[in-house]
Amino acid sequence: MRKPRNRLGAGLGAVVVGVIALAGCSSADEEEATPTTEAAQEPVRFAVETPDHLIPGNHFASYNIVEALWAPLVQLDENGDVSFLAAESVESDDAVTWTVTLRDGWTFHNGDPVTAQDYVDTWNYAAYAPNAWVNAGQLANIVGYDETSPLEGEPTAETLSGLTVVDDLTFTVELENPDRQYPLQLTIGQTALYPLPSEAFDDLEAFEADPIGNGPFKASSSWTPDAPLETVAYEDYAGPEPTVDAITFVPYIDTTVAYTDALAGEVDIVGIAAAQAQQARTDFPDHLYELDAPGVDFLGFNIEDPRFSDIRVRQAISMAIDREAINDAVFGGSQIPATSLTSPSMPGDPAGICGEYCEFDPEAAKALLDEAGGFEGTMEILFVANWGQEDLFEAIANQIRQNLGIEDVVPTPAADWAAFTDQVMSGDVNGPFRARWGALYPSQQNTLQAVYTAEGEGNFGAGGYSEPEVDALIAEANAAETAEASYEGYTAVQERILEDFPTIPLFGNRYLYVTSERIAGLHTVSGAPDLTQIQLAS
Amino acid sequence: MKIALAVAQRLAGFALVFLGVTFVIYWSVFSLPGDPIQALAGDRQLPDSVVAALTEAYMLDEPVGVQYLHFLSGLVHGDLGVDLSGRAIAPQLASRWPVTITLALTAWTIQVVLGLSIGIVSALRHGKTIDRVLLVTTIGASCIPVFVLAIMGQLLFGVRLGWFPVAGTSAGWPLSYILPSLVIAVFGLASVSRLVRSSIIENLGAEYVRTARAKGVGERRVIGLHVMRNSLIPTATYLATDLGFLLGGTVVIEGIFNLPGVGNLLFQAIRTHEAAMVAAISTALIVIFLVTTLLVDVLHTLLDPRIRRG
Repeated sequence: MRKPRNRLGAGLGAVVVGVIALAGCSSADEEEATPTTEAAQEPVRFAVETPDHLIPGNHFASYNIVEALWAPLVQLDENGDVSFLAAESVESDDAVTWTVTLRDGWTFHNGDPVTAQDYVDTWNYAAYAPNAWVNAGQLANIVGYDETSPLEGEPTAETLSGLTVVDDLTFTVELENPDRQYPLQLTIGQTALYPLPSEAFDDLEAFEADPIGNGPFKASSSWTPDAPLETVAYEDYAGPEPTVDAITFVPYIDTTVAYTDALAGEVDIVGIAAAQAQQARTDFPDHLYELDAPGVDFLGFNIEDPRFSDIRVRQAISMAIDREAINDAVFGGSQIPATSLTSPSMPGDPAGICGEYCEFDPEAAKALLDEAGGFEGTMEILFVANWGQEDLFEAIANQIRQNLGIEDVVPTPAADWAAFTDQVMSGDVNGPFRARWGALYPSQQNTLQAVYTAEGEGNFGAGGYSEPEVDALIAEANAAETAEASYEGYTAVQERILEDFPTIPLFGNRYLYVTSERIAGLHTVSGAPDLTQIQLAS
Repeated sequence: MKIALAVAQRLAGFALVFLGVTFVIYWSVFSLPGDPIQALAGDRQLPDSVVAALTEAYMLDEPVGVQYLHFLSGLVHGDLGVDLSGRAIAPQLASRWPVTITLALTAWTIQVVLGLSIGIVSALRHGKTIDRVLLVTTIGASCIPVFVLAIMGQLLFGVRLGWFPVAGTSAGWPLSYILPSLVIAVFGLASVSRLVRSSIIENLGAEYVRTARAKGVGERRVIGLHVMRNSLIPTATYLATDLGFLLGGTVVIEGIFNLPGVGNLLFQAIRTHEAAMVAAISTALIVIFLVTTLLVDVLHTLLDPRIRRG
């Protein structure tokens, strides 16, 4: 029997429990009402954040839906090795020019074959700045991107000169720099690389209302952002057949509502915040899934700020934070205390490379801070208000205050994301600030390049850190011939970055999902549930 | 005639209030710190070329006056513009108003029916036990914060009893709307029933009631016609204004019950600094509020001849 628990104060809790106790007599009926056999399989109801767009190259918040409607070129097998899905092969001799060969027999949901031309047209459209597709950055390493999307001024080309269609099933991609990780960039998270059928470009708004992909599920209802989207398994899907017949994506503005809906069994799969883990263990003892995810939480600094420019100050703060204790208290033990700059689920992650500086040692921390001359004044820890981050930063502030003997350590919420990013990007911060990176593909390359190089999309999280030696080491690792050699390369990169200690690693992520009793198993791809591998309870 | 003149004056006043309020709203969203485009992307910095293209498309680099005038000129042409994800605002509002209006009207109806009944019962039995019980219950209920009531309702009636859906509109009217409407209605219930109660009690002791009784008018007629009609004037005022409040006040409830209404959209729009969206929704709410207050005043003159003459 389910036991609803509320998240409110203890006093209120008593009231609620009292009310529920009064209603307790009805629980027997509830059990009876559960159907034992189903003629047609009910769609799996999947709770999603209200989606903004269904164009894979131009959405912020629709990953689950887009990943159901489309299929990537490349996937990883159970061992984490590259295997192929929509592509038959992705090959290169020099790591600069890559030949993508598509599998024959793949079709869009409208029946049209998926061709090399479709990929090239979609990528060109995405990379052309005036179209303002927000995921265009995923194409930035292709030759010609500087012309279609120049940093300043008008574009001088409409298409990427680095893309060439060879025949119906083959195209080549020329990269700016040698990169052996390229096949990994073609996996599920880099949605801007999914193909659109040619009819999409006639009227993108109409296309989005009735999206057509090449993936395991096709839309069976028209889409509007605030209504559920129904999908059914695509009968001519050329990839492995999904385990469920239909998925309905139900939009929620607030996922705590979805959580309550899951308690009532009205929605089947709900992603929850790490801070809800403790409660979820009680409410969903057998239906809480903690999926290894490619994200990392860390603290960034404005390294120009003289009070934090001494590396020992940053190291001391890092050693003053008891990651284990915070993980247990705030995240119900669901996250992974960080020991490197990348998520432990990243292939080749050099666990432990951060060494003593990521281990809790208040005495050493205090000694190191004293050695650096102590800390004067107020230290504000900046984060975003109303996003469930309060407890985490309260805890971090307390530990820095107590363990380093700094009196004024103030967790400081910015009003919203706009205010937060503005403050961080302009360097208007008065201490460490919240930072995070969710890698889009399973290579350390993504996190290291995005956060710790000047051109990276997440570089503001590291306070604008960049270092020519790091750039050179990344380029070397990118060009490494084998996976093992690349792991060694990225380990060298992490070692070099940690010599500068620009950020404080906090946690490697697990993404949490709770499910109704209809669901017996979830598998993960990149931290999200693999929609083709949902196991139903028999 | 007098009424017509008064209405015309009020309408002229509306235009001023309208311009003033929409500008203040536009200006306050505009002056929120930060770049709304970058905020959309969270931890991922958008390519500069994309930011530039979007900034230009939404005129975000223009001064607030220019943006506001653009909004107004669009409004005059019946065009509310597009939101930051490039979707037209008008159709979004059109699909969401029915949800909000249904919610507000359902809540309002519950409030009217329950409020009047409780008020009448406690007035006619004033000082008795039933009066005290109703007083404590309604005030107690309205003291509980709305979101607590909402979550208790969801856990009890949605999760435990399964009578109503926890959230969403998929079960349609009335099932999906009963729980949220009840929560909203409970909040105003105490005010309505107290108001009804006190004005009935006041009127019960009024001289014209004594006169009516002295003339031998039946008790039923005394209460039903004389007392009720006069007691309804303040109540009608309150309930009409309340409808305006209910429409604007559904923001929290729509969030908790995942109802895709206008309040919900407003909440999201404020979070993402969508000035045009916030202004469009507020404009509509202002118009509704102004119209209901106008109607209340007209209603007054119809219900109470003294106001007409004075």
